[in-house]
Amino acid sequence: MKKLILAVAASILMSASAYAEVIKIGVVGPFSGPFAIQGKNFKAGIDAYIATHGDKVGENTIEILYRDVPQADPAQAKALAQELVVKEGVQYLAGFYFTPDAMAVTPLLKQANVPMVIMNAATSAIVTKSPLVVRTSFTTWQTSAPMAKIARERGVEKAITVVSDYGPGVDAENAFKTTFEKEGGKVVESIRMPLSTNDFSPVMQRVRNSGAQAVFAFLPSGPTTLGFVKAYNENGLKQAGIQFLAPGDLTQESDLPAIGDAGLGILTTFHYSLAHNSPENKAFVAAAQKAIGNPAELSFPSVGAYDGMYVISKMIEATGGKQDAQKAVDAVKGLTWESPRGPVSIDPETRHITQNIYLREVSKGADGVYFNKEIKTFEKQPDPGLAAAK
Amino acid sequence: MQTFFSIGVDALAYGMILFVISIGLSVTMGLMRVINLAHGAFAMIGGYIASYAARDLGLGYGLAIVIAVLGTIIIAVPLERFLYRRIYGAPELTQVLMTIGITFCVIGLANYVFGPTLKTIPLPAGLQGPVDIGFRTIAAHKLFAIGCGVVVALGLWYLIERTSFGVKLRASVDNTAMAAALGVRTKIVYAASFALAVGLAAFGGVIGAELLPVEPYYALRYMVTFLVVVSVGGAGSIPGALIACLLLGAIDTTGRYLVPEYGEFFFYLAVIAIVWVFPRGLMGRAK
Amino acid sequence: MSAGVSVTAIPAQTRGWQRDLIGISVILIAALAGYFLFPNNLALLTRMIAIMLLVLSLDLVTGYCGVATLGHAALFGSGAYAAGIAAAHFGITEPITMIAIGAIGGALAGLISGVVILRGHGLAQLVLSIAIIHLFHEAANKASEYTGGSDGLSGISPDPILGVFEFDLWGRTAYVFGIVLLLLVFILLRILVRSPFGMLCRGIRQDPVRVSAMGASVKLTLIKMYAISGLVAGVGGAFNAVSTQVVGLDSLSFTNSAEALVMLVLGGVGSLYGALIGTIAFIWIEDLVSAANPFHWLTIVGALLIAVVLFAPKGLYGTAATFVERYRRGAK
Repeated sequence: MKKLILAVAASILMSASAYAEVIKIGVVGPFSGPFAIQGKNFKAGIDAYIATHGDKVGENTIEILYRDVPQADPAQAKALAQELVVKEGVQYLAGFYFTPDAMAVTPLLKQANVPMVIMNAATSAIVTKSPLVVRTSFTTWQTSAPMAKIARERGVEKAITVVSDYGPGVDAENAFKTTFEKEGGKVVESIRMPLSTNDFSPVMQRVRNSGAQAVFAFLPSGPTTLGFVKAYNENGLKQAGIQFLAPGDLTQESDLPAIGDAGLGILTTFHYSLAHNSPENKAFVAAAQKAIGNPAELSFPSVGAYDGMYVISKMIEATGGKQDAQKAVDAVKGLTWESPRGPVSIDPETRHITQNIYLREVSKGADGVYFNKEIKTFEKQPDPGLAAAK
Repeated sequence: MQTFFSIGVDALAYGMILFVISIGLSVTMGLMRVINLAHGAFAMIGGYIASYAARDLGLGYGLAIVIAVLGTIIIAVPLERFLYRRIYGAPELTQVLMTIGITFCVIGLANYVFGPTLKTIPLPAGLQGPVDIGFRTIAAHKLFAIGCGVVVALGLWYLIERTSFGVKLRASVDNTAMAAALGVRTKIVYAASFALAVGLAAFGGVIGAELLPVEPYYALRYMVTFLVVVSVGGAGSIPGALIACLLLGAIDTTGRYLVPEYGEFFFYLAVIAIVWVFPRGLMGRAK
Repeated sequence: MSAGVSVTAIPAQTRGWQRDLIGISVILIAALAGYFLFPNNLALLTRMIAIMLLVLSLDLVTGYCGVATLGHAALFGSGAYAAGIAAAHFGITEPITMIAIGAIGGALAGLISGVVILRGHGLAQLVLSIAIIHLFHEAANKASEYTGGSDGLSGISPDPILGVFEFDLWGRTAYVFGIVLLLLVFILLRILVRSPFGMLCRGIRQDPVRVSAMGASVKLTLIKMYAISGLVAGVGGAFNAVSTQVVGLDSLSFTNSAEALVMLVLGGVGSLYGALIGTIAFIWIEDLVSAANPFHWLTIVGALLIAVVLFAPKGLYGTAATFVERYRRGAK
């Protein structure tokens, strides 16, 4: 009996001391449902980070807890975040593919004393909702605005914008339109399509009739982009010489095999291409492809997650594993490092990532694999979206 | 005028694709009286099989279609035997629960087996690229889909209205006990029509894959659209479904051309208006 | 068994009230157990309460009136947005007032839905309900000035309840508030379904022709019920807005409507207890399975739904009730 009590006591002690060293990170993302592939990329990026850096930061071991929010559902995201904090005792919240989910959680952060590292959600305003938010992905403004400059450089006078009718689509439209008109071009028409559009032929007819030289498009990554690109080709817009411009969401690597040759020549601006030529990226892609299983499924959310983990590890280092959200966030303000996507830093004021934006062209490699070939770099781009909102 | 024609062609193509995918649902819902929310799941299974056959095995497009239809039927037969047979004649809501459960399972399994990426079905050279039809270009595969729609419509109409199988099917549905008493083997008739419906779903899934790409969430993503066109047409009526598909295809396409911002309003207000005038669907039979 | 005899001797009406007392105390005990056994899961339990109100409201039209709808979230979402907009744009942050505003919003949405949906029959009805939910969803998306569009409506910060109880991180206040609301609604609904009006609705479900032959207006009765149902769903939506302090487009979505219907059928149509049990079972299982395997949990939930149809065709509560009934008869 005595032995038993001792054993129990010892095990309690051991688990208690082990607990102090384990730092839990709660990751909220779409791991099932229509956006499952993006959630899978979160996990691949995180796994790649752990595979290359180990699961220890100093003395502390990190443990990841995943929670599924299949589609934008702020109420559920909040309930899950609350549960992660209260029940699981996570010290960091991360992930967040959809803007409304991230927005819903921000009011919790202060009371919970937990920093939030956004690995995707791309609406500019999220960082203003709480001083404990850091973002390692991009904003739609950040990736869309440079495209307007490209269009002007290439001699486009009249353009038409076609976007999905929801927050990010409207962001992309505004970003392009504002920049394009500032540079002296004219947006002849702005079309917003319902998210549920399947047949894009009528839209293409309209683009054709508008007399624009280029079409700037934004749709969420996934099945609809395929139909959109095909409709662009099949309605003869490509032959008519109307240039196709878009932010990189439309040509994410996991959609490229399905789009196939129809996508060749499309110009996109984005913060990351899997084909970025650097030793950091090669190492990252190798690790992430291994983590995700099927290399064809790897796409941009993985790099946001990978860098998010880097930022969190710096936060853990700075706080020595103690829970102090403000200190953790302060420690990464101005942090500069070499990401797989290129040189990046955290803007101390907005806590959003400053990064290069690349102009890429969809190309086909010698091995028959489609990729986004980087052909021009806009260096150290901050987020223009916040300034525009003011 | 040219715009008018060109919208008309788009509308026809879209409507026909909807028809090919949805008509199988009209058979299950109208003739067999099962609210089969797993219809989209069967179309998706067809798409996956065709994609595997054509892309990974390198078989021809025609062969891929045949394999997809047969393969989907083979998968569906045990489901009919062990699951659907339990819900024939059950309350509608029970059917909804069962078929949603099946759909969830299929989505989960597809995600697990094939991964969440989009799958394509490579088209033969003849169906690729645009075709010039005088006043505009249209994708060759859309013309093919229109042709398929016409063939399916005629074939089904003939099968149900003119063959002895059709007579037995209608008899079994109207009064199972009486039909059985007259020597119709109703269980086999039901199984055969279920196979027919599933085969049509798979066929539609393959033909329509250019417009509605195959991915795990396919099964739920387009379910509402299928349900709407079938019900607006009046479940169980082949001409009704055809008219509904063409009409809704036209409304949808025109709406998206004229007022893309309000395309969704346009479509669903039209649906409400149609049902308001025809509360049992365009060609629905009063019970 | 003398006890059995004495029970049967009481008139049916009184016995029903006794059973209600037992039912209500079971809910209370379950609520207390939830509070003390799962103090770290209150956020989940609170979400459950909001959805329970939606499913109860759906039961009123589907279970009691026989109207099949896949668009019931329109009522819930309208309540949520009404309360949310009142708080975020008009500074009405008193929680009980917000709930009242939500109830009115829900009732209005219920009236509109009712008028449209009741026009059809059978499948056509289902399609009208689908059209309604998409129109509501799109309208909320378009009115982004007020609703925040797809980014969601944030900036809702309700005052402490009665000026005393603040909403906290653990969600204790929200949970207790929710339980009180749920109990109130439940008691009122029990009275409602027992009332002559409730009986009339059941009559319509079984035989509308006979009811109209009796001289009652079928349509008017159903529209009234729809408005009441909207009231309940609106309370649920508003409570969700108050407790999560955010409203998203998902609250007006087809998915949300379909899920509510699944929960109702799972629990058992046509009984208020069924609605509660279905909601608890579905959300609890979903949470458990999706936390255990966030990637492939959908398959398991699907398999469970199939199993329920095969082994408990009347829903969880309906089947359990049949068992109890059979046991009782056996005991006599």
